[in-house]
Amino acid sequence: MEGRDGATVEKHRVHLRPATLRDAAPATLHLLPCEISVNRPAPVERFFTPAIRRGPDGLEVSFRGRRLRGEDVMVPSGLVGYVMTMEEKGEVLMGKQEALERDSDCFMEATASFNRFTLWGLEAIPGSDAKMRGALTWPSLAAAVSRGGLPSS
Amino acid sequence: MDLSELEKDNTGRCRLKSPVPAVCRKEPCVLGVDEAGRGPVLGPMVYAICYCPLSRLADLEALKVAGGVVVKVLDTPTWPTMVFVDTVGLPDTYQERLQQRFPGIEVTVKAKADALFPVVSAASICAKVARDQAVKNWQFVEELQDLDVDYGSGYPNDPKTKSWLKKHVDPVFGFPQFVRFSWRTAQAILEKEAEAVTWEDSSPEEQEGPGRITSYFFQEGPRTRPRPLHRYFQERGLESATTL
Repeated sequence: MEGRDGATVEKHRVHLRPATLRDAAPATLHLLPCEISVNRPAPVERFFTPAIRRGPDGLEVSFRGRRLRGEDVMVPSGLVGYVMTMEEKGEVLMGKQEALERDSDCFMEATASFNRFTLWGLEAIPGSDAKMRGALTWPSLAAAVSRGGLPSS
Repeated sequence: MDLSELEKDNTGRCRLKSPVPAVCRKEPCVLGVDEAGRGPVLGPMVYAICYCPLSRLADLEALKVAGGVVVKVLDTPTWPTMVFVDTVGLPDTYQERLQQRFPGIEVTVKAKADALFPVVSAASICAKVARDQAVKNWQFVEELQDLDVDYGSGYPNDPKTKSWLKKHVDPVFGFPQFVRFSWRTAQAILEKEAEAVTWEDSSPEEQEGPGRITSYFFQEGPRTRPRPLHRYFQERGLESATTL
């Protein structure tokens, strides 16, 4: 299969473990204005959370020596946020369903849920112009488009 | 010296004042500015302003070591007629700028002013005492386990400071906020021991990088999009996910 950028994308099916959506505990999330080149647990509760200050104009913290200003962002109503992880291969039980599953199948599960998160900006509060704020308007627009909801109809 | 304001919250900037003596409101004063903590990789940088009535300048000179003098800011109702500032930068440029800003005051900016003018020596002592006290009683904002407070002088060449930095580096967060991240000593340790961080405002070349080394051996496809996304998606940082 050809992806948008022309790279070959491996074809596989992704299954969701629905039970994990029900049990997902609420999580506190922070979205930082940077990329950290690693994906692994970090001591957020020891280094980051205690350093957050709530000033007269919103939240403040510093990360790697740079000052960040933050604000809470709500997940649009009607939607729920989930932190998803891909199950490691080999954890998948090859039982009765074996005939239905292929080696290339993947399983996802929710490890946490959220209905708000803290959006952090460099030196300034991200505000209403933030990309993320805009991105969160997409689901409602997408729903309107797929309903064919033109005002005249 | 009362640092309680700083001790309450040492995560940001902090301004400490001591009461203005009545004589300084009535008589012309001479004012000195100096700093402490430019060299160390640990703890705050402290600026101190010290002022003294012109009539008592001889007393200050006689003191030689002007202990227990006041830490002050310029916007309080004193009557400075002469200002002395210590600098490591370009004295002439700074002097011109300050003179323009405060036309009624005689401004002198000089390297090593702390050794030349007693009122600057006094400011220097205030800054140093405040900084030493702040560093000694540093309240770590982080909840660190096995925190070792034997961090030495904070100067980059102090072996105690160096080994403390190496011990307290975290791969994601770097150091506690007590550390000056931008100092070369801290940066060198971060480059080796911590994960790389690419900020949103770093230049595109820095973000793109030369591509993975394997791209020279395997066809990974072109790095540019043949068809740009609609502006609506570009402005919102949205892309369709082809892999999870």
